[in-house]
Amino acid sequence: MRRLPWTPIAAFALIVVIALLAPWLGLANPVSMDVPHRLAGPSAAHWLGQDEFGRDVFARLIWGARVSLSVAVAAAALACVVGTTLGVVGGFLRGIAEILALRSIDVLLCFPPLLLALLVVTLLGPGATTLIPVLALVYLPGFTRVAYAGVLTARSQDYVEAMRVLGAGKSRIMLRTILPNIGGPLLVQFSLAMAAAVVLESGLSFLGLGVVPPAPSWGLMIGAARATMTQAPLLLLWPCLALTATILVMNALCDGLRDAVDPHPAYRPTARRLLDALAPGLLPTPRAVLDLRGLTVEIDTPHGPIHPVRDVSLQVFPGETLAIVGESGSGKSVTSLAITGLLPGAARVISGAACLDGTDLLRLSEDRLRNLRGAAMAMVFQDPGSSLNPVHRIGDQIAEAIIAHRPMPRAQATSAALALLQRVGIPDPARRLRAFPHELSGGMRQRVMIAIAIANGPRLLIADEPTTALDVTIQAQVLDLLADLKRERGLALLFITHSLPVVAEIADRVAVMYAGEIVETGPTAEVFLNPRHPYTAALLRSAPVEDGPAPEGIAGVVPPPTALPPGCIFAPRCDRAAPVCTTTHPALEAAGEGRAVRCIRWNQP
Amino acid sequence: MSALITATGLTKHFPAGGFLGRGRAVQAVTDVSLTVARGETLGLVGESGSGKSTVGRLLLGLLPPSAGHVTFDGADLATARAGDLRTLRRRMQLVFQDPYGSLDPRRSVGAQIGDALSIHALLPRADRAPRVAALLEQVGLAPDHAARYPHQFSGGQRQRIGIARALASGPDFLVADEPVSALDVSVQAQVLALLADLRARLGLAMLFISHDLPVVRHLADRVAVMYLGRIMEEGPVAAVFARPRHPYTQALLSAAPSLHPERRRTRILLQGEPPSPANPPSGCVFRTRCPLASSDCAHAAPPLQGAGHRVACFKAE
Ligand SMILES: Nc1ncnc2c1ncn2[C@@H]1O[C@H](COP(=O)(O)OP(=O)(O)OP(=O)(O)O)[C@@H](O)[C@H]1O
Ligand code: SF4
Ligand code: SF4
Ligand SMILES: [Mg+2]
Repeated sequence: MRRLPWTPIAAFALIVVIALLAPWLGLANPVSMDVPHRLAGPSAAHWLGQDEFGRDVFARLIWGARVSLSVAVAAAALACVVGTTLGVVGGFLRGIAEILALRSIDVLLCFPPLLLALLVVTLLGPGATTLIPVLALVYLPGFTRVAYAGVLTARSQDYVEAMRVLGAGKSRIMLRTILPNIGGPLLVQFSLAMAAAVVLESGLSFLGLGVVPPAPSWGLMIGAARATMTQAPLLLLWPCLALTATILVMNALCDGLRDAVDPHPAYRPTARRLLDALAPGLLPTPRAVLDLRGLTVEIDTPHGPIHPVRDVSLQVFPGETLAIVGESGSGKSVTSLAITGLLPGAARVISGAACLDGTDLLRLSEDRLRNLRGAAMAMVFQDPGSSLNPVHRIGDQIAEAIIAHRPMPRAQATSAALALLQRVGIPDPARRLRAFPHELSGGMRQRVMIAIAIANGPRLLIADEPTTALDVTIQAQVLDLLADLKRERGLALLFITHSLPVVAEIADRVAVMYAGEIVETGPTAEVFLNPRHPYTAALLRSAPVEDGPAPEGIAGVVPPPTALPPGCIFAPRCDRAAPVCTTTHPALEAAGEGRAVRCIRWNQP
Repeated sequence: MSALITATGLTKHFPAGGFLGRGRAVQAVTDVSLTVARGETLGLVGESGSGKSTVGRLLLGLLPPSAGHVTFDGADLATARAGDLRTLRRRMQLVFQDPYGSLDPRRSVGAQIGDALSIHALLPRADRAPRVAALLEQVGLAPDHAARYPHQFSGGQRQRIGIARALASGPDFLVADEPVSALDVSVQAQVLALLADLRARLGLAMLFISHDLPVVRHLADRVAVMYLGRIMEEGPVAAVFARPRHPYTQALLSAAPSLHPERRRTRILLQGEPPSPANPPSGCVFRTRCPLASSDCAHAAPPLQGAGHRVACFKAE
């Protein structure tokens, strides 16, 4: 948060304190009349004079502030609680809750606020106790809409996704992650509603529909003074001045708060790149940590169902790195989302099995999956900035991740967090525990994400483009860290990337994906040295090598998932295609020690 | 070779944000001098925030420098009259990184390519459509694509459209700011080949900004390496890649992942992260991460010196 607006805060606090202390300020009784001195001017006993019944104007002004402010605060608070609940529930649960919450608000919004207030007051009769619910009703839609919009934005952030990956439940996400992120806008909305409620209260009281005489209220005072305006014009001045000053202070407060809570640069939402790819395999595997077989995913689109991932099988062994490499849209990320159970709503797994140490992830209930995510299976995303919650300290977020799966005292979790920060190579870890994400560089945030991922000793770590957003010198540091952790903890590392050089650096084995299928898989060094699939070979030729020949592109484009060619999906771009390739869809067949390839002609000259 | 564009002592400091400008100015670019000859490609490499894009925009006159000046074909951009500046503008163009954000989604591709022709009134209206068609063909697209809208094209095709738009005004100097880094590798190679081909056919001079070292190795004639707003090393690509003399260049080259790890240079792992450009170290800006740094390096900034292959380091052999 930037600097708080101290001047308006102090001024507002002063007004509140004076109003609160009214009974103890030794003021004249605001309702005791002194008719003989009606409309008397200012005097030593009555600083601001006396009104049309001879009551002390100064006392009525201060007691009036009490009434106006308490009505306004109570109304704004009521509107805030009810409105925010409706908005958060509607935005987070969607479905029927969303329809109910938002439609009822839409109905309210059809009425101009003043008309709505007049209507309810006329029905229920005037008085301060009616005013509070009336004003609350008027300002409720504002809160609902702010909360709802905030939740929708927050939902799409990677850091909310990251909470799900950590295994947090819905109510925890709502309370701990989403609410703090919409807190700023709600605070501003609250101060706006309060200021507006003061005005509306005065207006309604002026019309005789608010506070009932003889109780003091600024609106009533203005109304009464109007009748005697020609005889005692000052009487009109005092309540108007009080009202104006209060509103100005509140507006300054609103503006100051809005600036102070304005989103940080780190708030940027990042679109998740959905369609990415997956891995190969088909190796005989006694003890694979992850054993994925025949995964096929279907997504409903306006053009009918598409299958962005088809029949993908792969294994990752302990202490091994398997890289899935492919161009954008090849299905890499969809594969990893399917394994972790985080596919978006329109997508579903239609066949296959994904066994994590023998448990089929694709058939687990959401509850059991949640227990596994962040524990036995952890993920690191591309953009560390948006995977961390901007309003919580680094140390708290790591401790949170630990406690979510291993209940322990806070202090113990914090010292575990410290050890983790040390392990991932963050300089000055004790101080960094207290840092907010936007205070760290991209490379450092990615280290924090890795610390969270390894916090509960995962067996499988899925890293989706973890270094793509980093500079080369930082990328080199992070790749080294991942390789060390894998070795030291016997992790199975599933590494998703589009960069062939990164694969060459980090992966023991590689699976090359093209348009939703694995086209080739095998030990990285052998596949790169001697690619058997024409796509792998072409991809390698298009990667620029410093001391190699100029890179060559691959003619044509990846076929869209709505229009896959009938035979080999690479045939339209393949320089070895034969007539048979356009009619027969090749299967992934074994091609030597630990290797497999999906090409009819791989062993033909 | 005659210099087409020359920058001398270019410096750009962005005033600090925040209330009443408290905080420090960002020293995006400091004392950068470079030249690009006609038909020559200068590669500009460096990590994120090192000031590459700012240099590109300063050369194009899109940003006013805080100090130093740029001359294009003998004319000083800062003192050129408005009319001359318009002519100069026509002769220098920019190719953007983001193939999606850089085209207007609501106007046809032909209209956008034609903009340069109409802004500079280069051709009678009737001749513009054929010229747009020729430009599209030049970048490997079909003439009838002119009527389509950007969303109907793939990323690589959009980048071709962006190049066609830049070529429309007949420039002799092109700044290409990371033109292929948003593209898939198989498409990257096609666009790079297109740029190389256009450069040869049209005799374009080019500032090619990239963080991908092998790409620069293939496309550029000379390369300049930036760190924290300063040029650390500059020279012919072959020399700089084969025998980097600055410790930063050596580390950068060795950190780049390689398709052939066994042939890669021994890795020099830099410790830590680049300092903030709002608060660069005194003396040599690289000294906080430099494996060779000594106390001398904190006192004065090493000048960029040498003949042909220039280095800014006190310890460079
Ligand atoms: N308009 C601006 N106002 C303030 N600071 C700026 C502005 N433009 C650039 N900077 C800062 O100047 C420095 C250099 O930025 P520049 O964009 O030139 O770097 P770059 O080398 O192109 O980085 P990248 O590889 O990320 O594109 C950065 O610290 C950047 O934040
Ligand atoms: S099956 Fe045919 S078209 Fe497909 S990759 Fe092999 S040779 Fe090419
Ligand atoms: S001048 Fe000193 S600190 Fe700078 S690069 Fe050379 S040795 Fe390193
Ligand atoms: Mg840039």
